[in-house]
Amino acid sequence: MARLADRQDFDRYAAAVHERWERLWAGDRWVISVGISGCSIGKGALETYRHLELMLAQEGVPATLRQVGCAGWCFAEPFVEVRAPGAPPVVYRNVTTDRVPELVHALKRGEVKAEWALGVRAEESFGGIHPLSQHPFLARQRRLLFADAGVIDPESIDDYIARGGYRAFLKALFEMTPEEVVAELKASNLRGRGGAGFPAGIKWESGRRTQAWPKYVVVNSHEGEPNVFKDRRLLETNPHLVLEGLLIGCYALETPHGYNYIGGEHALAVQRFQEAVRQAYELGLLGDNILGTRFRCHVRVRTGGGAYICGEGSALMYAIMGQRGQPRTKPPRSVEEGLWKRPTVLNNTETFASVPVILRHGGAWYASLGTEQSTGTKLVTIQGPVKRVGVAEIEMGMTLRELIFEVFGGMREGYQFKGVQTGGVSAGPLREDQLDVPIDFDSMTPLGGMLGSGGFVVFDESVCAVDFARYLTAFNRYESCSKCNPCRLGNPALVEILDRIRNGYGRLQDLDLIREASKYIIELSLCGLGQVAPMPLLGMMKAFPEEFDAHIREKRCPANVCPISEAALLAPIGDD
Amino acid sequence: MTHHAEPAEQIDLEPLRAVLASRFRPRDSQEAYELIVGACQEAQRLYGWVPPEATQVIADHLGVTVNRIYGLLTFYADFRTEPPGRHFLWLCHGAACYVMGSSRLIELLRERYGLEDHGVSPDQELTLHVFNGCLGVCDLAPVIQVDHHTYWGRLTPDRLTAAIDALKRGDQVEETDGQAG
Repeated sequence: MARLADRQDFDRYAAAVHERWERLWAGDRWVISVGISGCSIGKGALETYRHLELMLAQEGVPATLRQVGCAGWCFAEPFVEVRAPGAPPVVYRNVTTDRVPELVHALKRGEVKAEWALGVRAEESFGGIHPLSQHPFLARQRRLLFADAGVIDPESIDDYIARGGYRAFLKALFEMTPEEVVAELKASNLRGRGGAGFPAGIKWESGRRTQAWPKYVVVNSHEGEPNVFKDRRLLETNPHLVLEGLLIGCYALETPHGYNYIGGEHALAVQRFQEAVRQAYELGLLGDNILGTRFRCHVRVRTGGGAYICGEGSALMYAIMGQRGQPRTKPPRSVEEGLWKRPTVLNNTETFASVPVILRHGGAWYASLGTEQSTGTKLVTIQGPVKRVGVAEIEMGMTLRELIFEVFGGMREGYQFKGVQTGGVSAGPLREDQLDVPIDFDSMTPLGGMLGSGGFVVFDESVCAVDFARYLTAFNRYESCSKCNPCRLGNPALVEILDRIRNGYGRLQDLDLIREASKYIIELSLCGLGQVAPMPLLGMMKAFPEEFDAHIREKRCPANVCPISEAALLAPIGDD
Repeated sequence: MTHHAEPAEQIDLEPLRAVLASRFRPRDSQEAYELIVGACQEAQRLYGWVPPEATQVIADHLGVTVNRIYGLLTFYADFRTEPPGRHFLWLCHGAACYVMGSSRLIELLRERYGLEDHGVSPDQELTLHVFNGCLGVCDLAPVIQVDHHTYWGRLTPDRLTAAIDALKRGDQVEETDGQAG
């Protein structure tokens, strides 16, 4: 493949791949797509793919077998999409190898196998299969970043370009000045998707204002929280979208240095993003003199070693620089002094992926989505015993109740909703009566919750609030980088107190002791993660005070989880 | 962590040298520093751990000190500086898995198999890493990734015991439950 020399060259190339894409879907061969992503591989998608390959050859079905990315419906993995000649594409759910022969035989006979279908990609029902867009999981979603998820092959730049990819970058490069790009981003009011919600446009603008050289643009794809998996799914399913956002970021900052820091455990995300970078170099969308202009851009991929703290901005930069990933005091902010002590603009993966969408449709259009203070869409993930586990992209402002009970289908059979943990390990849970809160950056905070990066953990009556609080606090203890004392010593102290309560030796003043220790951790910790480390515990105490009380006063664990010992039952309740 | 007194097997460093020569070519000292973690990850992929000999090779190749490399190896949870057992269990202890009961699995592994986090079982058969983040296959929670490719999902203590016993015998472990939801 030759490097594209200029804009006309790109347009010719785009027209050619678009035509090939159209031909694929209009041809008289079957088109069979298998979703291959981290979670579908876990459920056997690779075996399904190989089995299909074998079966189609044996049965003599003239088919194009292709891989696509994840479409967010973890509950339906592994999924297979089949387009028979002349028919609309039908998505089948949970196609494990034991279902493959029956599926292929049925399809060959001209049956549609409606009972295994998730939906059909068409406006109207087909053979008793309802349109995918009416499926309860998708009906309330607004997909911008995930628009092509499960449709394109993530390892093919041609698929991405055929669907309009890199158009936003070309628009920026040929029709806009860097200032105009930043102005568009400011107009969109896009707020950082990593959790803090700082307006991205303002960050980019202050990055432009700094005068040191070189500057760096960094994507934070570390995603080390125990409760969210959206960024890796985005990288696995549409890596070019993130890369295009990073390219636009480098153009806006007028710098050739782009980085993506990806958590090392997200192996497939790393591999697919690296492949995307390689393809972009090959086509001349990365490198020197991109499309005949003076703009140059080089992207480096760096991987993490499994330390939650490296999701914190300054720690992440030290990690890239080959040091232990420990945060430092601010100011100077990283936008003034970041990577290699140079101005660095760092944003979350999802933030960068939103940038091409914003340039394509305009900042004002994007700002019209969602709520006034939290514009646009948000990727959210759900965990726990709900019917439809997965990644959803919703417009900001949907209530938590709608999200859990409509999009994700509510609780599984036999499970009773108790609460939902929000904001990763940085905030507290919400109870059933608080679920009408809208999902945006600000509404959950007064209730003790937080949007964070969009991970929600639903838990049921079998989970003990004290034990869950201990789990979340123990996470923060384990992941403390040990640089500052309040976090390094405070979190183990909290775990120790919680263990005392769990074992039935809780004292009446322990809850006050927790509050006091937490106060010091919050006020004195060095980095943002330390400052919120006690929040899940305090949130649990606020949401489920009766459970803490039962453990201490009655030496009883209502959920029957905690190891309250026989000896503790005999001992008097301590008060000093 | 257990200390291994017996001399380790001779480690073939050529594959590591080849990877370093082809894919780890820093143009300046900054880039050399940036590549340390990646080089160690390659070593761990090749050997299952990062042996001292490999550390020396990486240090020589990138022009950094061994001390600096150990500073990183001991900081990041993914790395092992001791040889692993025959099978590698990566137990997800993310919030989804916790809610679905991963604590019971950790307890079982400790009590029945003598396995601690980052430890090797006394019979040298199993290594356990408890992963504090999320493996991202939450629909299978609680889940363990085995030998970097197979997943055991929706585990109960009984199913885990059966799976480990089958693994040790070298039998095929029953497939995970993919029909969920």
